[in-house]
Amino acid sequence: MIILRYVKLPSENFEEFFNSLKRWGTVYAPVKQGNIYAFKRVDTLGEVSLNYTRTMLPPKKFFVRPKDTLLKLKNGRWEEIREVKKIVLFGVHSCDIHGLQILDKVYLNDPVDPYYKARRENTIIIGISCMPDEYCFCKSLGTHFAMHGFDLFLHELPDGWLVRVGSVKGHEIAWVNESLFEDVTEEDLKHFKEFEEKRSASFKKHLNKEGLADMLDLAFDSPVWKRYERICLGCGNCNMVCPTCRCYEVCDYWINAYEAVRVRRYDSCFMETHGLVAGGHNFRPTRLDRFRHRYYCKSYFDPSAGFNCVGCGRCDEFCPAKIEHVKVLDEVREALK
Amino acid sequence: MLKLGVFELTDCGGCALNILFLYDKLFDLLKFYEIKEFHMASSFKEHDHLDVAIVTGTVSSQRDLEVLKHARNYSNYLIALGTCATHGSVQGAVEGKIRDKLEKVYGTRANPMRALDSKPVVEYVAVDFALPGCPYDKMELYQLLIDLAKGIEPVKKDYPVCIECKLNEYECVLVKKGVPCLGPITLGGCNAVCIRSGLGCIGCRGPLPKEANPTSEFEILKELGYDEEYIRKKFKTFARGELRW
Repeated sequence: MIILRYVKLPSENFEEFFNSLKRWGTVYAPVKQGNIYAFKRVDTLGEVSLNYTRTMLPPKKFFVRPKDTLLKLKNGRWEEIREVKKIVLFGVHSCDIHGLQILDKVYLNDPVDPYYKARRENTIIIGISCMPDEYCFCKSLGTHFAMHGFDLFLHELPDGWLVRVGSVKGHEIAWVNESLFEDVTEEDLKHFKEFEEKRSASFKKHLNKEGLADMLDLAFDSPVWKRYERICLGCGNCNMVCPTCRCYEVCDYWINAYEAVRVRRYDSCFMETHGLVAGGHNFRPTRLDRFRHRYYCKSYFDPSAGFNCVGCGRCDEFCPAKIEHVKVLDEVREALK
Repeated sequence: MLKLGVFELTDCGGCALNILFLYDKLFDLLKFYEIKEFHMASSFKEHDHLDVAIVTGTVSSQRDLEVLKHARNYSNYLIALGTCATHGSVQGAVEGKIRDKLEKVYGTRANPMRALDSKPVVEYVAVDFALPGCPYDKMELYQLLIDLAKGIEPVKKDYPVCIECKLNEYECVLVKKGVPCLGPITLGGCNAVCIRSGLGCIGCRGPLPKEANPTSEFEILKELGYDEEYIRKKFKTFARGELRW
């Protein structure tokens, strides 16, 4: 649902606005931790890194948790564990909002994942504008601007924030805080446009999307995959940090002699057993198969539905072998010529 | 009740002690297991058939080899516990032939204690489950023993340390700090404890079976400025010559 309404939040009201969010739920925002950023629970605006580049784990972690206890075995019966808390995700970048929408297609379509759905419905998403760094290529994928998928979206202005309202909930928050907002002036819109133009010109990395699916169709046996097989560690870091990776593993653990929990955790298609099926057959037995698979999963399987990549740059930033997503695809394309 | 035996070969004793460190969780295990031999816990010993035998340490003497053969021959299910038993660990990393080593240390090539070159348990007998770690994660052993008691086929870990590191949202010390971390090529299961403390993985659980890519890890560490000899030593500390590049 797109509800267009623009309001302005002057700088001097920003902190009060931030504090008012607590009445809608526990506030989580990007916080600097060593050399990385992470979405953490925050109490004051001072803790928030407003100019963060990207968090290591995407906001996906609030809906599909890295480790999530689903069931508990008690007295020989499985009991469901479903506690849902109201939360506010403050400071989500456009690419991550797009990432959540890709996850929605997987987890909210039939069969609906009840855990994901409940958490999604109890979360308020407040987006924030950003400037690209050397890893970002969201502009190439059209995920650099979110039209929906948020409740409020804050765009930086020299003297405050231009706030786009994107949902009924967003309207409610704006309405309750009406005294904090002003009307948007022509000058604000000019500043907003200037910011977006400057941002648009700042991208250093571009993905050539043209005919990508056809290109991958032809490149299945490309020597480029073989070259990268030797560099890739198969460690799965790219999967763990990806906002659109959606595979999970389910394991049971004993907590005492008669009680157990069923836990699901993120899985990685780089693991040898990921493609292992009954009878011992493995449809992706080698690292080459698995390395190539990731690129097909992100860019090929269903091009009509859009790419399963939002250009956030996490896989590049956290790859120990410094493998670059765009560079791999460029090299594959080049090798076809 | 299942019959359990714990056998120690040559090691620091930590792996057997770590079982006792399960403390109150031990009582859960005693609901299913009767301990027939566990030198560190009791002088009671009953040489009979065992359902599950746990062997820790490396085979470093003729006595070790005989204990191991006994454990294998008298048990249905044999667990090689700890990196000594699964990969050879630090003892196995010492290069050279036993007589040369004796000469270097004692000045004589005589071998009255019948020492052998230290090798992991898995090189002498077939094991049903290999659980590495120096020390191993005691909860992993707990899960394994209850699984066996309930007739559940235990699941082997198939992922590197990096997976658990990311699940815990620890800062990547390799990428972000240039700390030599063997996480990408080391079998997970430790919950990335070293990285939690800001240290690099030292590879104590041995290489990820079949899947490790030490060549690439070697190049990454070289690029970070570590010299080849240092990296080579790091690679073989726990895994002997298993990581080739």
